[in-house]
Amino acid sequence: MNQTVGPSVRELVTAVAYEANRTVGGGLVTIELLRRRFSARGWLDAASHGVFIAISRFTPGTVVLAYVVLLGWRYHKWRGALLALAMASVPASVIVFALAATLARIDRYAAVRALLAVGILVASALVVGSAWHLIRPYLPRASRLRLIVIAAVAVALVVLGATPVRVLLVAAVMSAALPVRSTES
Amino acid sequence: MNAVVIYLLLLKATLTSFAGMGSLPQIRQDFVETRGAISDQQLSQAVLVGRATIGPMGAYVVAIGYFAGGWLGAVAGWLAMITPALIAIPLLALIQRWLHLPRIRAAVDGVIIASAVLLLGSGATLAIDAIQQLMALKS
Repeated sequence: MNQTVGPSVRELVTAVAYEANRTVGGGLVTIELLRRRFSARGWLDAASHGVFIAISRFTPGTVVLAYVVLLGWRYHKWRGALLALAMASVPASVIVFALAATLARIDRYAAVRALLAVGILVASALVVGSAWHLIRPYLPRASRLRLIVIAAVAVALVVLGATPVRVLLVAAVMSAALPVRSTES
Repeated sequence: MNAVVIYLLLLKATLTSFAGMGSLPQIRQDFVETRGAISDQQLSQAVLVGRATIGPMGAYVVAIGYFAGGWLGAVAGWLAMITPALIAIPLLALIQRWLHLPRIRAAVDGVIIASAVLLLGSGATLAIDAIQQLMALKS
């Protein structure tokens, strides 16, 4: 991974708190927003983002929490990891607690449900954009065979109902077994 | 229900899942079927609250903890949600140590490509879900 200039603790905390707590639709959207913000400021390169995504997928539990732990750890070790984890999890947990405590039935009103559905639609577009960003580095000719073979196998496994972890494990083993060209990154 | 037991049960569920809602089957098994600590209706409410709230979908375990054990249960749920994320740090150290080896790099590339495929699937599922909700509201 390339070493890039990183954010201060304050910038890290602010960025994670802002991006992790302004969308519905799950953590994958947050990851894409964090990638955009950190890339735009020159704090995160595509290779590091790819590795963070891979590790987050292999880490049990919530993917986005593992991702922010890695971001925090990279720039400020334990302090950064724990602060980023707190910023990404505490606000949402407090809201969930408050809603659960009052037994709010927010889906009772059609307007709320419609608003939520539109929000999720926007979120899905961001998730697809995130997938495209991951695939793009493998489009050059040297990596294209790997991309086609692994993507085809992954699609087949998903269609067959394999769990995400099994899909990732098979992809890792298959990709390691494919011939490695010197021109590949 | 004891907060420590709630934490351990929810931790078991989050440690054996790899996505926000992936822990749901295990939680239903432990909290609804085996122990009867919460009802199916409460489970549905927790999922709904988790989906409607900002931040990670996995935060619904906080609501599960609350329904099973009050505010201490909610804290136990939050701890169970964040604990597995720390495993990413030793994983990163391992990957960085071996990443210069071509076969390891290729394996990581494979995981990244497969992650993109899974992301596309998640994006499609979210979009279909949203469209179905909008169509149901229209009819």
